Amino acid sequence: MAIEKEISEKRKRQCSKLVDISKDIVRQAFDRFKPEELGVTWTGGKDSTLSLWIIRQVCQEKNIPLPKTMIIGEGDEFEEIEAFVEKYRAEWDVPLEVCRNEDVLKAANYTLNAPVTVKDLNERNREELKRIGFDGEEFPFEAESYVGNHLMKTVVFNQFLERNNIKGVVQALRWDEHPARFEDEYFEYKEAAHLTPEHTRIRPILHFTEKDLWDTYPAFNIPYCALYEKGYRSLGAKTTTVKASDIPAWEQDLENTEERGGRRQDKEKAMERMRKLGYM
Amino acid sequence: MILLTIDALRKDALGCYGNESGLTPFIDSFQNKCIRFTNAHSPSPYTQAAFPGILTSSYYLEYGRQKMLSEKRVLISEVIKKAEITTAGFHSNPYLSDYFGWNRGWDLFYDSMEDEVDDKVPYVKAGGINSKVSTWLSSHTGSGVEYPPFFLWVHYMDVHEPYVPERKYIDMVDPTINLDDVEMFRLFKDVLLKRDVSDAGMVEILKKLYCAHVREIDDGVKDFFGILEKLNLLKDSIIIITSDHGDEFGEHGGLSHDGKMYEELVNVPLLIYEPARESVDVSDLLVSTLDIPPTILYLFGLDPVDTFEGTSLLPLQDYPIKGVFGEAVDKHGSHEKGEEKEVHYYLEGGLKIIYSETDDSWELYDLKSDPKELNNIIDTSSFADAMNQKVIPRIRRYQR
Repeated sequence: MAIEKEISEKRKRQCSKLVDISKDIVRQAFDRFKPEELGVTWTGGKDSTLSLWIIRQVCQEKNIPLPKTMIIGEGDEFEEIEAFVEKYRAEWDVPLEVCRNEDVLKAANYTLNAPVTVKDLNERNREELKRIGFDGEEFPFEAESYVGNHLMKTVVFNQFLERNNIKGVVQALRWDEHPARFEDEYFEYKEAAHLTPEHTRIRPILHFTEKDLWDTYPAFNIPYCALYEKGYRSLGAKTTTVKASDIPAWEQDLENTEERGGRRQDKEKAMERMRKLGYM
Repeated sequence: MILLTIDALRKDALGCYGNESGLTPFIDSFQNKCIRFTNAHSPSPYTQAAFPGILTSSYYLEYGRQKMLSEKRVLISEVIKKAEITTAGFHSNPYLSDYFGWNRGWDLFYDSMEDEVDDKVPYVKAGGINSKVSTWLSSHTGSGVEYPPFFLWVHYMDVHEPYVPERKYIDMVDPTINLDDVEMFRLFKDVLLKRDVSDAGMVEILKKLYCAHVREIDDGVKDFFGILEKLNLLKDSIIIITSDHGDEFGEHGGLSHDGKMYEELVNVPLLIYEPARESVDVSDLLVSTLDIPPTILYLFGLDPVDTFEGTSLLPLQDYPIKGVFGEAVDKHGSHEKGEEKEVHYYLEGGLKIIYSETDDSWELYDLKSDPKELNNIIDTSSFADAMNQKVIPRIRRYQR
């Protein structure tokens, strides 16, 4: 389905310009890396779907298949996202890898908030916990807690790079989504570190504002997950994401209200920093 | 107008305040353009309790004592933004993050919580903060000579534990210290976090590592001034420089900053850099960091705010002679007793009284004859009662 919203010809041209900038970044990525060295991150959310759609445009013009694409299975997914991802995986022929930290899922008995005992985990996960300075004996299974986020997302991401020998990975970050992003660059080289392979992060849609994005969707008939229609603006784990409003995301006051409604992660991040500084 | 705050920076680590180890050559070099307050006090010995003073001119125990910034506190940024002056804040302290409500009133607020940091340096260092500030300043001021006025707050974490300074700075302090990052981090975990002062040698090493961080942040401040100079802003910028609290190295039997009210923790550096000034003005006036927001309003020519409890430091000759209060929750004592225990101090005319609810104790020190606060004269001083009466009304006043 596509958004039914009138977009003026002038605005369409503007959106088209933004898409062209992104396509150019993607083309540069293909110049720098072999197709098999590239990876794409997808969540089914608005940013990574736009990014994937743009990459697909470039691949079609080059007549090559989409690069290997990862989606993280964190054990707390919206059914609507899963359905959307499945539909377009098939339709767009996305070489999708669903990446999960099975070891942790198993230790939690696939149950949200169940306690995970550290000594039940495999060596890699235990090593990862050590790396982030966690020295407790157990933690609750929850993808957006600090420990959960690291094991369920960061580790899984690094393993995806490692397993597929990925040298460049596309991330759908935008400058305006958070002040911390405003200095990010289209290409950022990350040196190899303990348990993290060397790679380059490629961010083709940095320049899109949230408003640009919601105008570009109807301008190009890009499909989106139904949750945005119900008022969600930013999608994360099912149990920790809240609706910003009951009207579709693109009809909300995007410029004067917060995009990131679910603040759970922010709290976790602040708490974790405090702990590292020696408090609590 | 710029407010530059440095977390956990002890006053006595700065050359301009008498430190002879040469840790702050850059800060010392511009003293001729400063008013230097020698008797400035933070109301509290840790960030969460001290920053309501610096940015909202209010005491910590007022309006509740949560990490979450009360809606009733008015941030200096809110007042300035309302006057249509651009505001921007850059820092990396979780206690002052977006999540806890410190983002109110800033046109741009960067708290670094989205950035990845490691255990040994769990914050974005001055270099990273400066680069963001530089990007923002360039875009705000453009290439022209005329730019709209702004209020900028920059806060550095580089002096804060864990003490894992760069090798280059350790060498400047004491090249014989032969510890690698992992060993320094182990000192943090095994000695500092345990508040273990039993080995004086270890405490001495921790202090030297802290000093290396001070030397490091002096370079951070230098780079910041360099950015202002490059953008041609320095000649028009008034810069208030201070810290939220100090750090303890065994002076009163502990480490770090948990809730004690001794001078190594609450007597903070405070400088007002004025570009037009030609010689230093050293002021021994007893002032508080709660005075900073009213001073900023004065400099912008804005009206005072009712909720602000401080007094403008400028004009200096109009500043009243008065005492300063401090209050916090004793984190250590509260933790042990399982409930929040208050700690208060009051300082006036060289006398300082401290009340600790944890063990219901009173201490009185004559800072002139006993600057290290080692000789408690509460039972012998004829001023004990008068000082006592100043503090009693403030204890548990918000819980009655």
